[in-house]
Amino acid sequence: MTIRKMILASAAIACAAMPFSAFADTSAKKIALSNNYAGNSWRQAMLTSWEKVTGEAVKAGVVAAADAFTTAENQATEQAAQIQNMILQGYDAIVLNAASPTALNGAVKEACDAGITVVSFDGIVTEPCAWRIAVDFKEMGRSQVEYLSKKLPDGGNLLEIRGLAGVFVDDEISAGIHEGVKQFPQFKIVGSVHGDWAQDVAQKAVAGILPSLPDIVGVVTQGGDGYGAAQAIAATDRKMPIIVMGNREDELRWWKEQKDAKGYETMSVSIAPGVSTLAFWVAQQILDGKEVKKDLVVPFLRIDQDNLETNLANTQAGGVANVEYTQQDALKVIESAK
Amino acid sequence: MNPFLRLFETPWIWSWLASFIVWFLTIMVTLGASTIGVSQAALTFAAFSVIVGLGQMFVITLGPGNIDLSVPATMTFAGTVALKLMNVENGMILPGLLVTIAIGLVVGLCNYSLIKALRIPPIIATLSMSFIVQSAAIWTNRGLRIKPPSALADFTTSNTLGAPNVAIVALLISILAWFLLEKTIYGRWISAIGQSMPAARMAGIPVDGARLATYLFCAVLASVAGYLLACFSGGAALNMGSEYLLMSIAVVVIGGTAVAGGDSNVPGIWGASLFMFLVVSMLNTYGLGAGIRLIMTGLIIISVIMLAGGRRASIR
Repeated sequence: MTIRKMILASAAIACAAMPFSAFADTSAKKIALSNNYAGNSWRQAMLTSWEKVTGEAVKAGVVAAADAFTTAENQATEQAAQIQNMILQGYDAIVLNAASPTALNGAVKEACDAGITVVSFDGIVTEPCAWRIAVDFKEMGRSQVEYLSKKLPDGGNLLEIRGLAGVFVDDEISAGIHEGVKQFPQFKIVGSVHGDWAQDVAQKAVAGILPSLPDIVGVVTQGGDGYGAAQAIAATDRKMPIIVMGNREDELRWWKEQKDAKGYETMSVSIAPGVSTLAFWVAQQILDGKEVKKDLVVPFLRIDQDNLETNLANTQAGGVANVEYTQQDALKVIESAK
Repeated sequence: MNPFLRLFETPWIWSWLASFIVWFLTIMVTLGASTIGVSQAALTFAAFSVIVGLGQMFVITLGPGNIDLSVPATMTFAGTVALKLMNVENGMILPGLLVTIAIGLVVGLCNYSLIKALRIPPIIATLSMSFIVQSAAIWTNRGLRIKPPSALADFTTSNTLGAPNVAIVALLISILAWFLLEKTIYGRWISAIGQSMPAARMAGIPVDGARLATYLFCAVLASVAGYLLACFSGGAALNMGSEYLLMSIAVVVIGGTAVAGGDSNVPGIWGASLFMFLVVSMLNTYGLGAGIRLIMTGLIIISVIMLAGGRRASIR
């Protein structure tokens, strides 16, 4: 009941906030989630958040259905077929985390032509008819170097851990990091490895390059790789550099242990997997007849020394620090884009 | 022929030679200062590839079409289930290991049942099995990362007399595999099956029994590797096995084992595993971009296989 009240209340606020918006009823609308991959903790958290938030929304009668579908092989062709199925099944909106920014454009266009609202997030698509909820990945990379420049005014050598080679997100974050190094020239990137956003891969790559590196003062990362880097560095007799973390629970827990033991300081930044729920609410608002800009920006979730404990307590063991978005949050994001 | 030349006739020498050159080039960047660090890291990470590679080698020995694609899923599933069961308690290490082995046996049995009873080609059977196993791993704990028991975590990450413990475990398993392959009737059987299954059958070799045992062996090694890797890296992750699919096949091929089956060797697995780790480390150390790095990795692997394969062609 409280949930129903909360949603009714937020709907009421939404009404009050936008007296001029056309207010169509979305209770008969069906929304589908097309997801390309489920094989890591971030995606698992993303799906769990989706299930939780949309489950409540369906129960409260905001929408008729919000089903999640994940492809088995992380292939664009497979996901295109999945989208075509969704068109045939008569969904009113498709929320999409795409395997490729361009390869799905054909299927997305078909969906748009069939009158379906397509909202892409995280893995966005370039097709102009779709909405995009993107993260400013460049800023995410740059802010890491900025943080380090405050902690280490003298600068020094950095090790960069990149993500999966050839993926758009990896290029963006890395470009941001290099921009940051240009801005703060006291830092120098002396080594760069690909950790594939997986801590065991990162551990292996870092352990391989570490013996050949000079002293490093910081490690800039992309998320999911910080704990692996820490493990690899701890296995040597090097002094622990400042490793920027990526909001994974194992990273936060390690940070907390180090903080308690020797006052270790760092920060952690990543996107919250709950961004899927933001995309859901945006899709719901569009179906509701609201005017929404095609390009929206979602803020990233940053954890600092003083709010580490709170965030760690709220993060499920083995999961990722998460925020689930409400209809109001979605409205705020939509408003700020105008 | 003198013994030195004879050494060059062995199929595994090329992978060893290649890994030595790459190792030398890597440590020369720091003029030798990184020798111990690079060697220990190489031995540690090669150990996991060795364990899965040995299992895959036995399967590939069975002849054309035999391959186990369920290796990564089995690793992930065994790692997640074992760590969940042990639940950070040192007293549960042995039960955890037993469950790991049991998982390997079940996956191996299912693999071979699909191949034999339903007459599905191994490549399809093990691939579909891997979907089932991977889904089971996701379902078990939804990507939750549980820490390994402290004693096990210490064991897998520390050294004995300068040699990483996981490398010692891999060495013991390799000796067992070498003994099975070279000194037992079972080893002769699988080589015979790999060379010609109908001939082996006519010679009275229990073909189905030997093939079943091989698929079981491969799956058990994969699950043990998953168990060790999960403990080594501080918890199981859903994608922890993914790079070991290609890796397990690559080390077999680079190690000089005949892809067509019937002719295998254990030392080559070690040479190839060390090489696969060192080549990435070397290219990282020289600071090359990801694109060039991948192209170089591919070219180097092709040239090693060509050298090893050229030798074989000239003999036959």
